[in-house]
Amino acid sequence: MATNISSDLIWEITRGHSANLVKRKAAGGVQFSRDPLNLKNVYRRKYEGLVNDQAFGIQPSADGGVILLVKKSNKSNKPASSLQSTTFGSGKSSRKTYSGIVNSTTRHGYRPDLRAEAVSRASAIRKSQKPVKADRPTKLRGAKAKAAA
Amino acid sequence: MSRPSVTVIGADGAPSKDTIALPEVFKAPIRPDIVHQVHTGMAKNKRQPYAVSPKAGHQTSAESWGTGRAVARIPRVSGGGTHRAGQAAFGNMCRSGRMFAPTKTWRKWHQKINLGQKRFATASALAASSSAALLLARGHNISQVPEVPLVIASSGFAPTKTSAAVALLKAVGAGPDVEKVKKSRKLRAGKGKLRGRRHQQRRGPLIVYSPEDGPELARSFRNIPGVETSSVHALNLLQLAPGGHLGRFVIWTSSAFSALDTIYGSTTEASALKKDFLLPSAVMKNPDLSKIINSSEIQSVLRPVRGGKITKRPNGQKKNPLVNKQIQYRLNPYAAAYSKEKLGQFKKEDTSKPKRVNETYHGLLHEN
Repeated sequence: MATNISSDLIWEITRGHSANLVKRKAAGGVQFSRDPLNLKNVYRRKYEGLVNDQAFGIQPSADGGVILLVKKSNKSNKPASSLQSTTFGSGKSSRKTYSGIVNSTTRHGYRPDLRAEAVSRASAIRKSQKPVKADRPTKLRGAKAKAAA
Repeated sequence: MSRPSVTVIGADGAPSKDTIALPEVFKAPIRPDIVHQVHTGMAKNKRQPYAVSPKAGHQTSAESWGTGRAVARIPRVSGGGTHRAGQAAFGNMCRSGRMFAPTKTWRKWHQKINLGQKRFATASALAASSSAALLLARGHNISQVPEVPLVIASSGFAPTKTSAAVALLKAVGAGPDVEKVKKSRKLRAGKGKLRGRRHQQRRGPLIVYSPEDGPELARSFRNIPGVETSSVHALNLLQLAPGGHLGRFVIWTSSAFSALDTIYGSTTEASALKKDFLLPSAVMKNPDLSKIINSSEIQSVLRPVRGGKITKRPNGQKKNPLVNKQIQYRLNPYAAAYSKEKLGQFKKEDTSKPKRVNETYHGLLHEN
């Protein structure tokens, strides 16, 4: 990559408008992000995967596990090979998934500031993949109970 | 330091062994403000004048009735025998009157843009097109593109049929971006539909060729939605930064790419084709602000951080005297004896009600 572009410059250019940016008038003008490398889906300098040289994202995989996407910082001008993806399948326990994510990224100095966000995103994805429990049938009371009996 | 180089991709999408040193124009400073301003001006320069008819609303011989007839003094259509007679005319508030400030064909339609600024903006937009992040931020789908800037060998880049051109785009990873354009075609909102701008669609890749590549190249690509072609000698900011937003996905033929250095020159060598033009040089040699701040040169002259990572409380930690006995004894010396004698657990034996005071007391109390 040319030496005239830094992540600070990219952020200054893209902070106002970007394909990833989702602006809504609700809640005082929230700014969300569609970036797959954004762990909180919030449009901030710290979380934007496009902007940072190092970034990683966690996405649900089709089989019920999670996919870890890690940006290779030396391939920033090679989009086809710039992402490394690791799948943590549904068979792996949640704790092992979290430690797998943390061990391969934050533990060895790759964005250590994103550790908590990574674990909570992985946890939220795993939780969302669990089957939804059906509501208990409501117990009838009063006149309705008498009518039913 | 050697100049960074770009791999030339073959027409089949496989990287070849050839590399081209990155032309100097890609090191031009990226200035969204200049690009935006120049784009705003350039976008106005293709307009054609329009105006309402100068006669509109004035094709009647209306005269005011003056005062005294209990109607407004606005000019009124003369005559009788038709409903139009006696109706107000001319004013912008009148039915079939003239509009307010009728548009004129001699409006200032075009903007003069300084040539230096135009060239700066073009160089800046070209430099931005070499950043994958800016391409993604513009919304291009480049996840399969092997390298940015994308340079295709001119030798294989000679499709004469559109089908061959589509196959070539797919092979070099531009397929998803073209597909995105196709899917994006929508009916335009508003009156533009009736004015020759019926549909809206995204912009796909811009293919930049050199005249050496032959005349068939542009013809083979012109019917693919969203794909635009441009000669490297006639690059246009409206194509390099559509909407004034940096980061157009550009596909270069290798001959066009290697022509860039002769067209734009460098910061020290004048361009061969543009008169009096040197590439703009950046104000900041190193735009990586965090690297500068964290450099040892800067850090060595800063005072150390006060307190460090953990701030100490100035008077030690506050303890709750109700829980912490030592603090409690310091505040209340009697507390030790009180708890030692277990006075807190001592039960009062006399539970009878207190005696009433005698009458003399009440007498004394209420004495006036």
